[in-house]
Amino acid sequence: MTEKFTIYLVDDDPGVLKALSRLLRARDYEVKPYSSPQLFLAEHDVAVPGCAVLDVAMPGLDGLELQRVLTASAGSHRPVVFITGKGDIPTSVRAMKAGAIDFLTKPVNDTDLFEAISHAEASDAQSRRLQLELESIQAKMETLTPREREVLLHVVAGRLNKQIAGDLGTVEKTIKVHRSRMMEKLGVRTVADLVRMAGVLNLSK
Amino acid sequence: MIRTQITTPWSLALLALLSLEARAAEPKRVLMLHAYNYTFPATSTIADAARKRLLERLPNMIEIDAEFLDLARNADASHEARAATFIRDKYGKYPPDLVMTLGSAALPFLVKHRDTLFPNTPAVFTSISPQTYAAVRPPPDVTGIVTDFDLAKTLSLAEQLQPEARRLVIVAGSAEIDRRWQAIARKMVEGHQRKFETTYLFELPYSELAAKLSSLSRDTIVIVLTVLADSEGKAFVPAAVAGDLSALSAAPVYGPYDTFIGRGAVGGFIETFESVGIAAADMATEILEGKAPSAIPPRTTPSQHYRVDYQAMQRWGLKEGNLPPGTVVMFKQPTIWDEHRGAVLAGLFVVGMQGVLLSALLIQRRRRARFENLLLASEERMTFAAAATGIALWQLDRDTNNLWVTEHCRKLFGIGKDVPVTREALLANVHPDDVEIASRAIQRSFDTEQASVTDVRIVPPDNEVRWIRIRARRNSGDNGRPEKVSGIFIDVTDQKLAEAETALQRREIAHLMRVSVLGELSGSIAHEINQPLTAILSNAQAALRLLGKKSPDLEDVRDALEEIVHEDNRAGEIIHRLRYLLKKEERKLESVNINDLVRSTAALLHNELIARATGVGLDLENRPLLVTGDPVQLQQVLLNLLMNAMDAMASTPLARRHILISTRGAESGLMEVLVKDQGAGIRPLESGRLFEPFFTTKDHGLGLGLTICSTIAQAHGGRLTLVNREGGGAIAGFSLPTQAPAVDAA
Repeated sequence: MTEKFTIYLVDDDPGVLKALSRLLRARDYEVKPYSSPQLFLAEHDVAVPGCAVLDVAMPGLDGLELQRVLTASAGSHRPVVFITGKGDIPTSVRAMKAGAIDFLTKPVNDTDLFEAISHAEASDAQSRRLQLELESIQAKMETLTPREREVLLHVVAGRLNKQIAGDLGTVEKTIKVHRSRMMEKLGVRTVADLVRMAGVLNLSK
Repeated sequence: MIRTQITTPWSLALLALLSLEARAAEPKRVLMLHAYNYTFPATSTIADAARKRLLERLPNMIEIDAEFLDLARNADASHEARAATFIRDKYGKYPPDLVMTLGSAALPFLVKHRDTLFPNTPAVFTSISPQTYAAVRPPPDVTGIVTDFDLAKTLSLAEQLQPEARRLVIVAGSAEIDRRWQAIARKMVEGHQRKFETTYLFELPYSELAAKLSSLSRDTIVIVLTVLADSEGKAFVPAAVAGDLSALSAAPVYGPYDTFIGRGAVGGFIETFESVGIAAADMATEILEGKAPSAIPPRTTPSQHYRVDYQAMQRWGLKEGNLPPGTVVMFKQPTIWDEHRGAVLAGLFVVGMQGVLLSALLIQRRRRARFENLLLASEERMTFAAAATGIALWQLDRDTNNLWVTEHCRKLFGIGKDVPVTREALLANVHPDDVEIASRAIQRSFDTEQASVTDVRIVPPDNEVRWIRIRARRNSGDNGRPEKVSGIFIDVTDQKLAEAETALQRREIAHLMRVSVLGELSGSIAHEINQPLTAILSNAQAALRLLGKKSPDLEDVRDALEEIVHEDNRAGEIIHRLRYLLKKEERKLESVNINDLVRSTAALLHNELIARATGVGLDLENRPLLVTGDPVQLQQVLLNLLMNAMDAMASTPLARRHILISTRGAESGLMEVLVKDQGAGIRPLESGRLFEPFFTTKDHGLGLGLTICSTIAQAHGGRLTLVNREGGGAIAGFSLPTQAPAVDAA
């Protein structure tokens, strides 16, 4: 990872913004404070690893809407931690359903905040790992011939070589050749590895 | 023989003398030419009066003849011609020395036929209206009395006697003279100031006339003019008609003629026929004594008066007090008092004097005792009445400092039965804080005419505090120096309690409204306090972490601590503001800068505004706007107006939700806060009721917010207004009188 995990902090209250920034920095986080959702959106870079800590009640665009805007922007799976002065249940349910990491009530205890942020960090790391894996699998898939791809789908579906040959109207020997070349290209040795890879790509259907 | 001879010339001389005497005393002949018949009342009255007067003025020299032309009963031309012929035949050879006409029809007859009858005989006419006189244009040797009836005055007499009358009925017949009256009557009614519901009973058969009059309502004025003939051609005598109609009329009858009086008519503005007769006779006398008739101009209405029949007035219950001054009251039965006033007075005086003399000693003796008793009884009554109404009376002498009070004072001041009621005893029970007030109030009364009113508290031993109102007023002595102050004590505890109760209730309601508004805002307020608390906690934890490091950045720690102090102050301020609004204290007057109040109210609502997605703009006057008032109550008003503005915009699109608060100081010593929203505005039906208690347009409103705000505004000498804004929304205005402008340094 080239860039440091960054916390995007958005709160319209300057006092709170300053205090939370200080707290997070004391824990050696990289913090980018914004006093309004608009300023945040203008500078937000999806490529940078990190999470967003958002206040719920803000003039103009509230935290939940901001979360929606973030999710909607392509390629963003920025984890979100909410902090709110008014922790009512309907709002928290909406936030969690929309994929929030946590929903914290002000005043926020540092341990709760750090725990939520470390969750976010893990979530961010995992989603970034998954992203990388997906990207490499996709690159390998690109190298397959159409026939090899057909064979791949049948193998993943659990068909035997003889059955596949019957399905595709050829002989078992030919299928064997396609199959070994395909597994070689994808860099897997067992059928189990192949199935997992297909799962990542969501190819089971 | 000689004797006979002597006798003869004597006799001759005597005869001659006698004949001379007879020639010299040849009587003057006056012909009374009556227009109507012998029993016609008006003309016969004039004729009688004139005859009497002539005989008085020219005794033994007058011979009076009379002819009755009877022109009313026989209105045809042939009758007139026959009458003329008859008179010419009868008097042609020996014409009279003077003709007097009686009745208005007689003069035209005379003028018309004079040349054939007695061309050189001077004439005196009577009963001629100015109109007839002008129409007939008699020759210069014909003079007489013109009668100008003032019908308006007859009506005015009726009006004064019947102030409640609304209807007017005027009666006249169908003969020529009657018709003349008709025109006069119409003209008079038109020109009359007061408008009646007027009915003209003209040109009717007599039977119908009688029927109409008998069915009138009592509040009618009936004026009967002449009825010489009815519409069926039947001839009548006006005075008789007036009499008959008066008897059957259901309302009082008036008329312009002397002869109506005594026959049942109430009266009128009237020329008596008697005075006409006398005046005519005086004119005739002058002419007969040799004065040229052309040198005697006609005279108009010698003596017109208001005349009334007392009996007729009695019949209708009309009051003598309503009569115009100078009215001649006729047929009034004189009382014994009227007739023998002198004798009665003298008798009474003598009896009275005897009584006085007899009583004098007795009275003298009993007087003192009686007055003493009366005085005592009066004082007892007064004291009793005063005590019954809870009032004690008192009087303080300036010089002696002696206090006189009624017994009830003991009860009011809670003084025991065995303790004498003195000034000191009273003051001993006055609340220590009020003693000074009480004695100063009474002392002040010596210096002013004004009655003073002072309320003080009384603390009777072993009893509750009571409020006593002291009213005091000074009494000046003979030398004008205020010697005494007297007044009353009255217990006003109940009144005071009720006042306090009301004030308390008003405060309670205002407080409850504040609490309810703050209840609505509780979420926002919690958030408002949460912000500084969050900042404090985070700063503190950051500082702890920083200090835990190997080489702590102390500068950052210091910053964190400073932030903590700052944020703590901020939280404290919010809590202070809240406590302020929640407290339940009496109104406190302070100098308040309305701009500051607007800012702090907007701050208090900061989160609520965000929660309701409502923007707010402040457009405040540059200089401080100082008013004197209770900041809590004033803020309550602002808070309410802002909450209302937010509520009003509940269904306004998000982009348009905006409140503009502006403050302006006007030249007139008033300042104004305007809260403008972009909501639905005020519906016309609501506008009149917005300040009514319990009127609300909100689903969960109590309907007390604006009522209380309006009360608060008024208590501060200001006003609350609510109007629609041009282009949608409403403007709530809150005006207050500003303090006298502070001295400006610039």
